[in-house]
Amino acid sequence: MTYDDYLGGKPVVVTAALTGGVHGKEAHPDLPETPEEIAAAAAACEDAGASVLHLHARRDNGERAFSTERFQEVADAVRDATDDAVLQHSTGGTGAPDALRHEPLRTDPAPEMASLDMGPLNRYDRLTSENTRELVASLHSEMRERDIKPELEVFNDGHLNESLAILDDLDEPPYLNFLFGGGTTSPPHPRNLMNRVEALPEGVEFNVIGFGPHQLPLTTQSILLGGHVRVGLEDNRYYEEGGLASNEQLVARAARIAEELGRPVATPAETREMLGLRGR
Amino acid sequence: MVEACPHLTYREAGDGATFDGADFGEPRAFCTVTESFVQPMRADICNARYGLDPETDCEFYVEPESSSDESEHPDADR
Repeated sequence: MTYDDYLGGKPVVVTAALTGGVHGKEAHPDLPETPEEIAAAAAACEDAGASVLHLHARRDNGERAFSTERFQEVADAVRDATDDAVLQHSTGGTGAPDALRHEPLRTDPAPEMASLDMGPLNRYDRLTSENTRELVASLHSEMRERDIKPELEVFNDGHLNESLAILDDLDEPPYLNFLFGGGTTSPPHPRNLMNRVEALPEGVEFNVIGFGPHQLPLTTQSILLGGHVRVGLEDNRYYEEGGLASNEQLVARAARIAEELGRPVATPAETREMLGLRGR
Repeated sequence: MVEACPHLTYREAGDGATFDGADFGEPRAFCTVTESFVQPMRADICNARYGLDPETDCEFYVEPESSSDESEHPDADR
């Protein structure tokens, strides 16, 4: 993906990260947590231009859930509420046992996509999501068995090395997601996104996450560089300084900017074609 | 087996610092050390799920004050 893709008006895949698993209603009173709330947000985001819905599951009190059963409830509710969007299940889970990390892949039907964290990531002062190579390979293997497209989560440059090392094992096109923020994610600066994009072999599709106030500028830069974008309350709670956002607002803004810049927002069908998804 | 943090309680209403007066419906994890609701990810530490240990994995953990009355347990050396 290149600047030429921007000039050529390639459609932009907008992913909506609706809820995440880190913060909850203590941080944003309208953050969707229950299957019903997540489904309502998903429908609004699909209408606003999102073709991929990144899903986490939670207990009724907002705490994290990893079981296949809870993901099934979320996925069923989202499918009932949406038309044709691509479902992408998170396999992230700081502190959770490796066996639980596989459970989101085992819904019926399987999700079309799933996240694949490519290496260690610090949380708080004393936790590390280890994401060992063994776990990455194990999750990737099950994704292949279940025809699930992995989105490789590149939290920092070391994870780019890890991703490039398995590029030949990935179905075309490889899909990498670059994350920018604090801690063990990449320092959020446009030059760092430029470096990432320049390091990509031809034929690789990329997506961009900017945490907090970096969501708007870095996703906009991704549009200019021929990439795709992920927005939503998992990554950023604010529409502007001091003003809380909704998922729908963040998706609508990303879609509006893409259109203004001359790149149409990808429909679910266009997303499936660009990312090599085979539907469900 | 590690037990849930002694500083963990569950509350329904806002804590005065975040969304004062909010009714969460379901009781949510509240830390009596920081006097605030905790993030869902951190609540897994508080509840000692997945082998996590509040004493070693939470930077806010403090030893709970003893509830014993000294007069009931006199120091044998006195």
